[in-house]
Amino acid sequence: MSSDGEEEFEFEFEDDDEGFDPEADSAGESISDAEAFDIMSPTLEEPPEKKPYDVNYRVRTMQEIMDMQTKEVKKVQSLLEVPADTAATLLRYYAWNSEKLQEQFWNDPTAALVSAGLSPPSSPSTSTQPLPSPLASPRPFECPICCMDYTKEQTATQTLALGCGHRFCRGCWTEYVVGKITTEGESGRIQCMESGCSRIVRAEPIDELVTSDVSKKYHNLLNQAFVSDAPSLRWCPHPGCEHIIECSQAPQKMLNQLVPTVTCRCGNDLCFGCGYPASHRPVICRIVKLWEKKCADDSETANWLQANTKECTKCQSTIEKNGGCNHMTCKKCKWEFCWVCMGPWSEHGTAWYQCNRFDEKSGSDNRDHQAKSRQSLERYLHYFNRWANHEHSAKLDADFYKSTQKKMEQMQSSANMSWIEVQFAKQAVDTVIAARITLKWSYCMAFYLKRNNMTELFEDNQRDLERAVETLGYSLEQNIGDVGAIAKLRQEVTNQSAYVQKRHDILMDDTLRGYLEHRWEFTV
Amino acid sequence: MSDARLRRVQKEIRDCAKDKTSQISIEMIDENPFHLVGAFPGPPDTPYEGGYYEVDINIPETYPFQPVKMKFITKVYHPNVSSASGAICLDILKDAWSPVLTLKSTLISLQSLLNEPVPEDPQDAEVAKHYNSDRAGFISTAKHWAQAYAQAPVHKQQGGVTGGGGTKKVTDAEMAGLSEASVSQFVDMGFERPKVISVLKRMNYRGNNISNINENTVLEELFK
Repeated sequence: MSSDGEEEFEFEFEDDDEGFDPEADSAGESISDAEAFDIMSPTLEEPPEKKPYDVNYRVRTMQEIMDMQTKEVKKVQSLLEVPADTAATLLRYYAWNSEKLQEQFWNDPTAALVSAGLSPPSSPSTSTQPLPSPLASPRPFECPICCMDYTKEQTATQTLALGCGHRFCRGCWTEYVVGKITTEGESGRIQCMESGCSRIVRAEPIDELVTSDVSKKYHNLLNQAFVSDAPSLRWCPHPGCEHIIECSQAPQKMLNQLVPTVTCRCGNDLCFGCGYPASHRPVICRIVKLWEKKCADDSETANWLQANTKECTKCQSTIEKNGGCNHMTCKKCKWEFCWVCMGPWSEHGTAWYQCNRFDEKSGSDNRDHQAKSRQSLERYLHYFNRWANHEHSAKLDADFYKSTQKKMEQMQSSANMSWIEVQFAKQAVDTVIAARITLKWSYCMAFYLKRNNMTELFEDNQRDLERAVETLGYSLEQNIGDVGAIAKLRQEVTNQSAYVQKRHDILMDDTLRGYLEHRWEFTV
Repeated sequence: MSDARLRRVQKEIRDCAKDKTSQISIEMIDENPFHLVGAFPGPPDTPYEGGYYEVDINIPETYPFQPVKMKFITKVYHPNVSSASGAICLDILKDAWSPVLTLKSTLISLQSLLNEPVPEDPQDAEVAKHYNSDRAGFISTAKHWAQAYAQAPVHKQQGGVTGGGGTKKVTDAEMAGLSEASVSQFVDMGFERPKVISVLKRMNYRGNNISNINENTVLEELFK
């Protein structure tokens, strides 16, 4: 790459505050055009209209990630005046935080090197004493691992010691390093084979010891570690996609007010904050995690038990009443009690047909507890059903594409409309699906929102969007009639679609702005 | 590399046999040089003193690049050893393994593990609880186990006396580290003795900890 190219690259990489470009809203396809021209300067991929809650981001390729590393290494190499390999190892140890590395390095260069596993041979980080070089000794060298003897000449060519002086034969080194890379997936932290020695095996000897396949895998692992170490990078989670999203506007501490939804070059959405493989707007990552956990674990089974069963007041066995009278006898401990008031049956005397001990204290506590639990379960189910319903509908809508396609062809032939004229149907399906995903998450949000005036506003927006979506969905399912009907349907769908889009924007806008204005309170 | 593995294991066995000072033995059990039995005496001044501990050794294909697999054959009452299976929790048998470590050095590490338990990283949680809450009780149970399973002499001062001959028989409650009084308290209520012992062991119903446990909670467990 020429120096010109590198400068350009640097510009792209450094400048994250590039303003919103009004040209960009023409269409998404301009991006792929630009890509075709120069892969090294990816266009800033922004949604058509930049909102205050949107983040700037770029989609990177593996090559760009490698170039970023080379650039960092070069920078550190010249700053600290160390070899490139050393600079890379240092950077990996400090998780590519070059400020921290420089600070520690200038503070105490030896300590920085030692902790990164680059200690000089005499350093205390190696627990065992450095061995005298076998090259000087007249006796043959025996590899302590495979117990093979090496003559003086062979020792020079067939054995290897790192700076720590622990010498082993090349065969053992290869076996060890290949095992670490291929079976354990280690890369930047492979240590000397000596017990307790923390000397790092650097890239140079590894590349020399292993075959090119393993070397490739090793460098892949190094790149992966680079991406996971950098807070501004995240792998696209979609299967088969090898792109990396770069975004420096959504650090962990901002995730309480931002939902950094981004679109990868593979066409799929993801959340940059938590890696959720789809948009979960308008809900923040933390709440999504709670919701997922709640839906996944069987805490709700426990809730069901609480709502539908009672515990024997003596031995605490769980009892489900399966009919019969209120005179309960625990099968386990033979305790007799009243199902209605939970008090001991003996206090009921002969009035078994009607519980006259309703106000008794212990019984009433028990009942309150039971009622509360039932209520909480009902509340959860209310929101969960709506959440799940929208998810299900969004999936069905995707199938809808096919039937819409058919209708579009039908329209083209029967109503003599051009291809471009029938695109409204496809766009309408897209609008419905996007709105459903947002609606789905809005129910998760509503479940955790603390009830206040703001919540009512939120629910109004939610209701309006839901109504608009259902109307549009219904229109899309209509059969196509004659020419006149098609024109009418087209008009209807286009209008409704625009309305859904508007309601969608309003809900999203208000909710996401609400985070920035600290309007939402959650009960967790 | 399998040649290298065989060469190395054979050398290790040879070297160990030559070394008379370490008291560590490594022997083949059948013709297979990769399935061995190691043994060492319990370290002095520990509850394991006088006992003789056998360890099952399995050498994986990738030895010495992957750690050797070891577990106690002899039952040991120790926080880092499973009292049921003999599985061992020790760093060098996992991620702290290094190819330069040998069978002998690993067995020596096991020996010193008996000397210095690491209860923060337990293999057997019940034993670790016992160790942390009632040290004296733990030591006495560990001694009972050493006598019963590792041929440790019953009375140290009498030296040569082995086994339980002529001495008081150790009860099942003592072997579980429980007091006879606690066990009979629940057995007298009509619960079966093995069940009582297993529940009380799990709940660490020992020493001062007894006051922390509600009797009803114990009953609840016994009813399960």
